[in-house]
Amino acid sequence: MKRNVLVLITVVMGFSLAAIAGTISGQVSGVAGQSVVYVDAIPGKTFPPPTEQPVIDQKGLAFHPHVIAVQAGTTVAFLNSDSVAHNVFWASVGGNKKLGHNLGTWPQGQKKSFKFDTAGVVPLFCNVHPEMSAYVVVAPTPYFATSDLAGNYKMENVPDGSYTVTAWHEGTKSQSRPVKVSGDVKADFALSK
Amino acid sequence: MLNRQANVLLFSILVLALFASIPIPVAGRANLGHPIYAIPAFSRQYGTSCSTCHVDFPKLNDFGKAFKDAGFKFPKDDETFVKVPPVMLGSPAQKELWPHTIWPGTIPGLPPIGLRFNTFLQVVGRNRNNFNLQTPGDPTAPFIPRTDFQTGLLSIFMAGNFGDDIAFWVDDDISVGGSGADGGLGDGYLKFVNIGRHLKLPTDALSLRIGQFELDLPFSPARSWNLSGWDIYDQANISSVNSILGLPTVSNSFAMSNAAQGVEFSGGHSYRGYHYSLAIVNQNTSGGTAAGNNVPPVVAYTSDSNFKDIYARLSYRFNLERDPASRNEIQAAGASGPHDHTYLNLGTLYFYGRSVQRFQGQDGSGVPRVLTAREPFYRMGADFSLNYHTFNLIGQYMYGRDQNLLPLLPAGFTAPTGLIRGSPASFSGGFLEADYLPLPWLMTIMRWDAVHSTADLINGIGATPDSDIGSFVSPFHATRNRFTPGVQFLIHANIKASFEYQIRPQQIVYDPTTGALLTGAFRTNSAIAGLDFVY
Repeated sequence: MKRNVLVLITVVMGFSLAAIAGTISGQVSGVAGQSVVYVDAIPGKTFPPPTEQPVIDQKGLAFHPHVIAVQAGTTVAFLNSDSVAHNVFWASVGGNKKLGHNLGTWPQGQKKSFKFDTAGVVPLFCNVHPEMSAYVVVAPTPYFATSDLAGNYKMENVPDGSYTVTAWHEGTKSQSRPVKVSGDVKADFALSK
Repeated sequence: MLNRQANVLLFSILVLALFASIPIPVAGRANLGHPIYAIPAFSRQYGTSCSTCHVDFPKLNDFGKAFKDAGFKFPKDDETFVKVPPVMLGSPAQKELWPHTIWPGTIPGLPPIGLRFNTFLQVVGRNRNNFNLQTPGDPTAPFIPRTDFQTGLLSIFMAGNFGDDIAFWVDDDISVGGSGADGGLGDGYLKFVNIGRHLKLPTDALSLRIGQFELDLPFSPARSWNLSGWDIYDQANISSVNSILGLPTVSNSFAMSNAAQGVEFSGGHSYRGYHYSLAIVNQNTSGGTAAGNNVPPVVAYTSDSNFKDIYARLSYRFNLERDPASRNEIQAAGASGPHDHTYLNLGTLYFYGRSVQRFQGQDGSGVPRVLTAREPFYRMGADFSLNYHTFNLIGQYMYGRDQNLLPLLPAGFTAPTGLIRGSPASFSGGFLEADYLPLPWLMTIMRWDAVHSTADLINGIGATPDSDIGSFVSPFHATRNRFTPGVQFLIHANIKASFEYQIRPQQIVYDPTTGALLTGAFRTNSAIAGLDFVY
């Protein structure tokens, strides 16, 4: 009986939330390839870190994926699938060089993890293969999306409200704009190098 | 002992002759055209930067050494790194049909071609022509310009792997010094890697290289990262002119940096543990190998293709990382990422050959005949390389000795009738070099080269205790001696700007006739700037 009540409450709350959450979608134009769009920090709001642990693989002298977006507080695992020695380091987080870090070296088939607590873009490098690079975009909120190759993105379950939404793309200046969410809204970005 | 005047005369003649035959780093013929090889073809094939294999190209890092040892491929799982798949010359399944089909192989998916060009500016000290004071009015005296722009090499090189651990390399200098096609073939060989597996030997214990190749020297002149070569590897051995023949009785222009034709057995690794090579190559007396014939019956310095020279090298590298697991890896692991090992490499080399010269003589009846002098020679040396992080100290010592057969001229004869042993012509010397990379794109260099050659001293190429006459590259007490600080900048991974300054000890010049002092103490220093790019 007690369990049924709990389930009912959860379902009702879920429907209620859905009723007040919307979607932000649109296109990032002017650039080729994947972009990341995220809702900037919301004053007075904090979000629990997710438990899932995304993996960035080093394979064939490349990082896979090349761009990944995570929520602040996420632990990312770095896997070395190559038979050659690799390294992962970043010189800054969001431009803050004090947050640079070097994960060192580990053998083929093994992982090393790191928790990204600070929001910002983290450019990843390998110190022996300069052609290797990747980006971890650490979003301050759980509302973020990675676009497809054509630049289309969609962020779901964004609570109604007014936010600042930022679009980021490798090698361009990020662009931010205010977005008022009330149901489904469109927000396009035109980035340029 | 020849008097001073005769010495000076011989000096003048031989300087000109030797300048044409010995690569000397200045004096109008800068030794700037080293075939420097970084391999853009591999960058294309693997989609990776030059710095995967090179520290300040063409100097190899530990991974580059392993790549080369493996036959120009990744030591493990090579196929997973190749971005451009090779073209199959027959399905791998065809192996099961052999001998009723051709064993299948591969060729690189892209033409494995790289090109390289370089250009230089040389600035020589204002005392550069002081030695011409010894021969005033001589129109043949070498004049060295104060500044000189020079084009270096346009080279093409092709390298890769045909599958089944068969590696290949061919390089050719298409243009040298701005001229047309006068460079010629550098190396051209096939290397059958790890053939010891067919004999159940340990992995990489035996490989076979066939063709024309640079000897397996401790520090490859072909891959030298310096603007000027290491003098000891370019040292030839040429004795004084014999008064009976009017020719030097040792004229062995073989230098260790010469390309050799033959076969080479090798094994081990150059990034850890032992490494050896044993090469059997054509005789190379006159700066070129024999053309396939035996010694022609003409008066000349020549080579005998029936005689084979032997070169052997053995080295052992002690990787000194604290972490035992890391010592055996290709690159050392560290908190800041993989890097070259801290290591000490010790090695030795030995070359045994025979030079041949033919000159006009006569038999006991006075009938003219050609006398053939076959003069065995050897070179031996020891070397080391000490590496700590981005600091590398290398050194080479070498000793060379040629048997010296002199003409026997009995009384009453007008030409020699035979040969007797004379004092051997010998030389010794080497270099020490320290390289340090404060930044990945910046390398600083300090180097000392010295060569002491009795043959050169007799020829006046270098001052003797009796005759303080040097030459442009030959200060007192040594025939070649210089300190060479340098700095190199990688503008990109494939473009390099290099600078070096050659500092030679003080010299003085005497009047050849009167012995009067013609100059005060001076140095023949020179500066060289170079731009190098591969693509």
